[in-house]
Parts: sequence; C-alpha cells; structure tokens
Amino acid sequence: MSAQLPANLSAETVREISDARDEPEWLLEARLEALEALDELELPDVIQTPGRRWTNLEALDFESLVDPLNQADETTRESPEGVVVLPFTEALDEYGDLIEERFGSVVAPESNYLTALSAALFTTGTFIYVPEGVDAEDVKIRAEMNSRSLFSHTLVVTEKSSSVTILEAVESGDSVDDARYFSNLVEIDAGENSYVQYGSLQNLDEETYTYSLKRADADTYSTVNWIEGNLGSRLTRSDVETELNGEASETKIVGAFFGHDDQHLDVNARVWHKAENTTADLVTRGVLDDEARSVYEGVQDVGRDAWSTNSYQRENTLMLSDQSEADASPKLIINNHDTEASHAASVGQVDAEDLFYMVSRSIPEEQARNMLVEGFFVPVLEEIAVDEFRDDLEELIAARLR
Amino acid sequence: MSSDQDHLKETDTEARFEFKKEQKAAFVAEKGLTEETIRVISEDKDEPEWMLERRLRALKQYQKMPMPTDWPGQPDLSEVNVDEIVPYIRPDVEVRGGVDDWRDLPDDIKDTFDKLGIPEAEKNALSGVGAQYESEVVYQNMQERWEEKGVVFMNMDQAVQEHEDIVKEYFMTKCVPPSDNKFAALHGAIWSGGSFVYVPEDVTVEMPVQAYFRMNSEGMGQFEHTLIVAEKGSEVHYIEGCSAPKYSAFNLHSGGVEVFVGEDAHVQYSTVQNWSKNTYNLNTKRAIVEKGGRMEWISGSMGSKATMLYPASILKGRGASDNHITIAFAGEGQNIDTGAKVYHNAPETKSTIESKSISKDGGRTNYRGLVHIANGAKNSSTAVECDALMFDNESTSDTMPYMEINESTVDVAHEATVGKIGDEDIFYLQSRGLDDDDAKQMIVSGFIEPITEELPIEYAVELNRLVELEMEGSLG
Amino acid sequence: MATLEIKNLHARVAEEDGEQILRGVDLEVKSGEIHALMGPNGSGKSTTSKIIAGHPAYEVTDGEILLHLEDDDFGDVEIPDDARTWNLLELEPNERAALGIFLGFQYPAEIEGVTMTNFLRTALNAKIDEREELLFGEDDDEEAEEEAGYDTSPMEGNVDDGEVGVAEFQKLLKEKMDLLDMDEKFMQRYLNAGFSGGEKKQNEVLQAAILEPSIAVLDEIDSGLDIDRLQDVSKGINALRDEQGTGILQITHYQRILEYVEPDHVHIMLDGKVVKSGDASLASELEDKGYDWVREEVYEAA
Repeated sequence: MSAQLPANLSAETVREISDARDEPEWLLEARLEALEALDELELPDVIQTPGRRWTNLEALDFESLVDPLNQADETTRESPEGVVVLPFTEALDEYGDLIEERFGSVVAPESNYLTALSAALFTTGTFIYVPEGVDAEDVKIRAEMNSRSLFSHTLVVTEKSSSVTILEAVESGDSVDDARYFSNLVEIDAGENSYVQYGSLQNLDEETYTYSLKRADADTYSTVNWIEGNLGSRLTRSDVETELNGEASETKIVGAFFGHDDQHLDVNARVWHKAENTTADLVTRGVLDDEARSVYEGVQDVGRDAWSTNSYQRENTLMLSDQSEADASPKLIINNHDTEASHAASVGQVDAEDLFYMVSRSIPEEQARNMLVEGFFVPVLEEIAVDEFRDDLEELIAARLR
Repeated sequence: MSSDQDHLKETDTEARFEFKKEQKAAFVAEKGLTEETIRVISEDKDEPEWMLERRLRALKQYQKMPMPTDWPGQPDLSEVNVDEIVPYIRPDVEVRGGVDDWRDLPDDIKDTFDKLGIPEAEKNALSGVGAQYESEVVYQNMQERWEEKGVVFMNMDQAVQEHEDIVKEYFMTKCVPPSDNKFAALHGAIWSGGSFVYVPEDVTVEMPVQAYFRMNSEGMGQFEHTLIVAEKGSEVHYIEGCSAPKYSAFNLHSGGVEVFVGEDAHVQYSTVQNWSKNTYNLNTKRAIVEKGGRMEWISGSMGSKATMLYPASILKGRGASDNHITIAFAGEGQNIDTGAKVYHNAPETKSTIESKSISKDGGRTNYRGLVHIANGAKNSSTAVECDALMFDNESTSDTMPYMEINESTVDVAHEATVGKIGDEDIFYLQSRGLDDDDAKQMIVSGFIEPITEELPIEYAVELNRLVELEMEGSLG
Repeated sequence: MATLEIKNLHARVAEEDGEQILRGVDLEVKSGEIHALMGPNGSGKSTTSKIIAGHPAYEVTDGEILLHLEDDDFGDVEIPDDARTWNLLELEPNERAALGIFLGFQYPAEIEGVTMTNFLRTALNAKIDEREELLFGEDDDEEAEEEAGYDTSPMEGNVDDGEVGVAEFQKLLKEKMDLLDMDEKFMQRYLNAGFSGGEKKQNEVLQAAILEPSIAVLDEIDSGLDIDRLQDVSKGINALRDEQGTGILQITHYQRILEYVEPDHVHIMLDGKVVKSGDASLASELEDKGYDWVREEVYEAA
C-alpha cells in the first residue's frame, strides 16, 4: 500500500458514521468492504516521465487530513418539478432499493485507495432521479464545506428519454486552520435516450486538497455532457470520465481551469468507446498564473467493437507567468480502424499580435490581456446550459484576473 | 538516373534480407551474462583497463535495474531472457577491425553483403561504409579525400585503441550513461562493434557514411555502439541499416548511439530497420546539441517482433534545433513502440516531430513521445504531428505524447489523427485502373512520402519496397 | 467502335432502407459521339455516372450496363470474339477502367504524397495489364514482375513495372499537357492535393487524355471553371473525341460548356429517368424554358 491508513480509521468509525445516519445494512456492508479493501488498493495512477512524477499524491498525509467523525457541510438543493433531488441519506428511505442497485455500479468503491476511502466515510452527497420522459432544467446543488475533511457521494439516475441539467458548486465555509481534504464522487447512470448535463464548479479555499472522480455510464442514444470548472484548492485531482456503453451514445467533456499562486491542478478527461456509432468531444481550456502547475491527461480509448467511432480532443493552455508549468498528455488508444479520431494540444502565451492590436486601439495592456483571457474561456462558457453556472464561472475568472 | 541504382534490381528485396548463412565463427561466448563473460570479451578485444571497468560498472547497474514492465501498452518483454542470449560472436576474419577491401573477406560473409547491395551502394553514393557481421565490424572503408580532411570513420573497437582520449571522454559518460535504462546498462556491459565518426571543425562530409548491421546466428544478441562527434560547423549524414534472417528463437538487438552535435554543426542520423520478426529491438539513441546545432533523426521501423525506440535530442545550446521523422509499420505479431524525446534546455530552441504509423493484421503501433521545455528556455517552439493509418479492427494504434512546459514564452503544438484508408480515395484510384491492392499500396506510399522524401534515394526506394512487401501479405 | 448501353437501370443507395434514385435509365453512347446529360439537382445524373464506374455506395436493383467492343477499340490489340460484350455490373471499377470506361469526378479525391507522374504512369500500366488479363485470361507477366526491383525514384514509380517506360511516358505527358495548356510543374505535385477547383477539373481531363478511354463520363466537369479554363477544358474534351475517338457523356447543369463542346445528343433526366432526348437544340430550348417545361411536357404526355 502506498498511503498510510489513518490511525483514527477503523471499522468502529465506519459503523458510527453509518449508525448515526440510520443506514440500511447493505450500505454499512459496502462501507466496511471498502474499508477493508484499503490495505490492498493503490492511489490513482499518476503520469510519470523519466525522473518526474506529475502529481505527488503520496505526499498526502491522511493521518492529519482526515477527521472522519467531524464532517460538516451546509448544502442547499433546488429541484424543478418532476425530478427527485434529495440528500443521499434522506433518499435511502424512499429510494433504497434503487440506490442499492445502482450505488457503486459506475464508480466501484474499490477502484482505488481514494474511492474506497470515500465510500467508507462519506456523509454527504445527493441523489438525483429523473423519471422516464421528464425534462428537468436547472437542478442546483450548492455545497459548503465546514470541516477538516468531507466525503461526498452523488448518484444520478436518468430513466429512458428523460433530460436534466445539473449545476453543482462547492465552496469553503467556516475556516478551519491547516490543510483540509475534500473527496467528491459522482456517478451518472444515463438511461436509454436520456440527456444529462452535469456542471461542476469547484472553488474551495487554497488550503484544501481535493479529489474528485466523476464517471458516467451512457446507454443507447443517451448523451452525457460534463462541464468541469476548477479554480480552487491547493491541489486538485479531478477525473471526469464517460463510458459509452450504448450504441450511438455521445459525450462531451468540457473543462476549464485557472490556477494561480502555487496551485496544482491535475485534471483529466477520459472516454471509452465501447459500442458502435459513438461520439466523443473533449475540450479543455486552462490558464496558469504565478507558480501554478497544471497536469492534464486526456484519453480516447476506442474498443475493438466500437465501429464507426468519432472522437475528438483539444486541450489549450495559456501561461501568464514564466514560473508556471503546464504538462499535458493527450492519448489515443485505437483498436478499431473504422474510427475518425484526432487530438490537438497547445501551450502558449496570450497572442502578442492580438494584444498589440487591442493596445493600439487604446485599451490599456493589462485590460487587453484580461479581455483576451476571458475570451479564451468563451468556448467553454458557451457550453454551459445553466445560466447561473455560467455567470458564476465568468465572475470567478474575472475576479481572479483583477 | 537509372544506371546508378542497377544493383537494386538484381535481387528480390525479400530474398536479400531473409537468406541465412551457416554460422562460422572464430570465437563464440557462452550464453548469458556474467562478470567472467565480460572479462573474456574485453580480453579478446585487448581493451584498456578503463573500458573493462566501465563494462563491469554497467553490469552492476544492469543487475540491479528492473525490467521496464509498467509502461501503458508497452511490448511484452517477458520472453527476453538475457541468459539465453549469445552475447558475443567474433566472426572468423583475419584482420581485426575489418578489412578495407571486400575481396579480403571470407566468401560467405562477402556474399552476404553483396546480396544486401552494400558494396554497390558504396561505389555510387556513399563517403564510407562499415559493415558489421555478428559482433564485429568486418569491413570498414572511407574515401581518401575525407581521411585527408581529418574525418575519422572507423569501427568502435578500433577507436578505443586509436582514439582513446576522445572515446574515454564521450563513451557512455555524458550522453547515454548505463544508468539510463536497463538495456543501456546491458549495452554498456557487453557492447561490441559499431562505428566511431569524428568530423573536424567546418568539414562537410557531402555524401553519407553508412554502417550496416547484420545478425546471422540464431539466438544471438547484437550490441553495437555508435559514437558520432561533429565539431563546430561540421556536417555529416550517418545511415544505418539492419537486418537478420528469421529464426525460431529470439534475437536481441540493443544498440547504443551517442551523438555530439557541436556549435552550428549538423548531423543527420537515418535508420532503416528491417530486423527479422523474431528480433527484440531495444535501443537507446541520444544526441546533445550545442548552440545553433541541428540534429535530425530519421527512422523507418519495419522489422522486428518488438521495437522500443525513442531517439532523444538534448537541445543544450541557444538556437539548437531538432527534427524527428519516424515511420512505423506493424504487421502480424509485431509491436512497434517508437517515438521521440526532446529536451529544450536553452532559449530559442526548436523541435519538430513528425510520426507516421501503419498497423495491420493485428499489428500494434504506439507513438510515445516526450517534449520537455525547461524554465528559461525562452522563445522555444515545438510542433508534433502524429498520423496513424489502420487497416483492420484486429490492429491497434496508440498515441501517447507527454508535454512538460515550464516556460511561458513558447509555442507548443501537438496534433494527432487516426483513421482508416478512405473508401472514396480507393474508388478514385480504382476508376483509373488500379486494382484494390495497388490502390491501397499507393495510398500508403503517399502517406509515408513526407518521410521517404528525406532519405537518400537508395533508402527511399528500399523503404518503399519494404512497405510493399509488408502490404503484400495482407492484401489480395 | 465501342458502345456503352444502359438498359432500364434501377439503383438505390446501398444501405438498409436506402433511397431509390434511378428508376429505369436508358441511354446509349458510342465512340466518337458527344452526349450531354442534363437535369435538375437530385435527378440522378451523378448517380448514373458513379454506377457506370462501379461506385460501391449504390446498389443496382434492376437493369444492366453493357459495353460492346469492336476490333479497333484497343488499337492493334486483337479482341477475341468471346470478349466483345461485357456486363459492366459484374466488373470491379479497375476492370471497367481497363476496358475503356473513364469517370471524370465532380469532386476528385486529394491524395497526399502521391505525385501526378507516379499516379498516372502506374494507372496507365495497370490498365494495360488488366486489359490483357480480361481479354486473354492469365497474366503471364506475373513472374517477371516479381523479379523486377526498383530502378528509379519512388516519386516516379518503378521503371520496369509495366509497358510504358519513364521516358516514353514523360513524352506522352508533355504532349497532353501542352494540349490542355497545363503547367508542367503540375506533374511533380501531389494528386489533386491543394489544387484549385479549376485545376482539379483540368487534371481530370488530362487523365482522360492519357488513359485514352473508349467512353468518358464527365460529371460536372464545367462547374467552378473560369472562362479561360473552361475553354482549355473544352478544347481537351473535343480533342478526346476528335483525336482518340472517345465517346463523351457529359453531365452538366449549364448550357455554357455546350457552346464550346457541341453535343450530338442531349438527354434530360428527371426523377431517375431519361425523359427526353434530342439534338443540340434541345439544350438551348431547355435554357429558354427551364425544367418545369420538360416536367409539364413529360407528365402531361403520360
């Protein structure tokens, strides 16, 4: 095992969490299994090149970061008509059977050390259920983290021919001294011909270490669109993934990040094409200032049976400072020739010609630069269906520039 | 332009590579790798003490390093058991260090190289030729006019004796230390043969020099070392060709190449690799490029069972530049894992990487590349382009680039595409009278044309012919 | 003299539930004749041309396409009696090409890395070989070919590979290019890659001039041409007929090209059928009155 098990972590702790929430037996069992698996599990894979490790997850000191019995959050949930949006624990009463069936079906708790830790200890999260044929717009979840550590688990189930747009925003509330740890797992089980847009905006304070894994299982004709905005945290490890399991399913993974100071952003977008006629589009745009470092891995994996696949990936990083670092690895793994796949990545500065043009039109240089940076994010902003989310992200970007 | 290349039509290309020769040798080392083996080899070569010491240090490195097994999608190396390899075979040749007249070679060896077309090529298009058979260079010659200008082109073992100072300074010290990877360490311990090229200041060697490496014995390993030192303002083009007949047991080729590109010097290193499909081809090739220097790596990887090859350029001086052109063609049972590494360690450095791969009949290609731009390497730029062509859904094509950018005033671009042969394109060619096979072949040769264009005519022709042979298996 | 005979041709898009496009096309083109095939968008003109050449995207559901050959069609090559009539639908696209069918594409493919010279000489030699094989059976050259190695640059192909050698080919090429007023540097460029629309069309005609087909089907060869190029292209088409005796089936939207390439016969297609045929005057009548006139006349009569 690569990470040390915190001393305050035992089956007893897990039972206490489960009991306090009056959980059904199956969930307690699932938590205990995850806990037991910790001994065997490894931390998530991190890219390594000769002499360099792109993110050092080993350095996370869970002993001091994790305080399982004192988790606290303040979460508000807005739900339009026809769709079920409930705190995870509350949902167990009414939707227990459904949750038992789907929990961990997309993100197995034993995927890695961090997912298992999360499954064993989570105390918050949301259950979203969209019944057949229902169109729901603007589900909004706003979470505030108020403790040293917080583990959240969200499950989204969309039935046949339904559609939903979701915004999740995570911020820090009460200040806690020293480092904190936030873990956020999101599973989407997208039913046949359903549409999901899941937007997530992470703006935790810069003492926080964040691990987030979001994965969708897309059924026939379904579409799953992710929008992932990362601005906060000292270290962010974010994985956004879609398995295109159904024929003609589609996904778009749109990411935006903006790092400053000594933030470390490890953001990843991955798609597995497993059926015929599937389409994926991965778009990530990031900006780095000061000594911030970004690490990006994009994976387009086309399986043997994925005939007639279309798969595209673009990653662009703007560097505002010489002290920053941008690492990227866009990968193509193609096992079926009936594929049209491409990826492109670029790293550079704000275009000097553009800047000059604007300055020559009498815009002060700094303002011109800021305008160009804001413009750089437009392709991402345009994808966002929830207005409030778009406004929030725009504001955060603007605030960081000033 | 026809008569110059008459030799090429004399023999069928496939037959040229695939024939076997009965193995006759003066000295064959025991299988496997022990300190004793290395002492024996070093003694047989009458090496200075420091070289023996380097070999033994490399052996220690080798013994403690793990096999690379955890790279995503890498070739399976579990069959590569170095203890089964015959690391050193000295062919039965009178003159140590190679003769300078083909006629002085034993008939069977001369015959081998005749069939490969080497003596003919030498007459027509090369400044010099070295030919290695098993572990030793058996022929070495260079036109006198280059010798007069101080150009050195000799076999590596001889260079250890005759240019000891230069070799001692550069040999596996600052460019490819044995600690670099397990196969570099193995190479450091049992290297034998290869070329030493020294080009003095401001000398331009107009025609390429070529080394040809031939493995003829079953179950042997070839570990030649190539060291090129190009002084300030000089220019040279080095070509290596490789082949072996096919045997059932595996062969191992683990060459080491070190290139020192001086200020404003220009070195081009071209490889057309056609090892037999039982060969593991695991090489370490690296260049250090000084201010204003230019390094070009051109590789065609057609043969071998598994290849792991990522020629590297370290752009050390301001304005140094690198150009990589690679083509990989993987057919049935082949796993060709190739790519490029470039370290931008100075301002205004530039690199371009162009990779083309073709996979068919269950073959697997992987582009694996690294571009590192160090902090302070201001105004540097890199452009990477990878294109892959796939024939069927049994084959696999992976693209795994890594970019580490520590400087903001840079221009970094990476693009990759994967696709199949276009049906409309095939129809167009068919409607002009080409049959299906010829149409596909024409599209493939067009696909790799940007690379053949960079090669001297003989090699371009050779590469195209090899592609044709690869294609013939699957089509029709 | 060769005759292309299309009888009751029905075809649809080769997909599940593919759309029916041709509903009984009848047409006959002989060597030395110029035919214009006109019709509104979607009437099936381009589809007809592609099916003649053997495009895999369409499935013929009824009817046939025959090619009748006569003694002098392949110059000195004697055509056996049992190889004088061919059912084109049974042949691969390259076999059709070998027997003298040429399709000038509306949108020619762009193929990077393959020079015009290499492409055309390969095509010419492939055509000659394939024709021998079709007419006389077994390919005797097989062994000889295997032994041949490259003798020249891959940019120009293999000098020993085929009947027409490099020198002879260069001469032929230069002749044809002069005729079309094409710049020689074209030949070292990659096949259609980066060509302008007009250059591509000119190139299609050049290819026809070199491959010397019996019947050339030219699909909208006139679209996207400025007047100078239109004249060059027209000159090329006329030369095909006058000097090589090629039969031309010219598919076009516009009257304009017909002023330079005067058709012997004009056919109008509507809804997947040839509904009206006539001489050159039909084209000008059509220009004046439009397709609605044809439609009315045809459907009223029926």
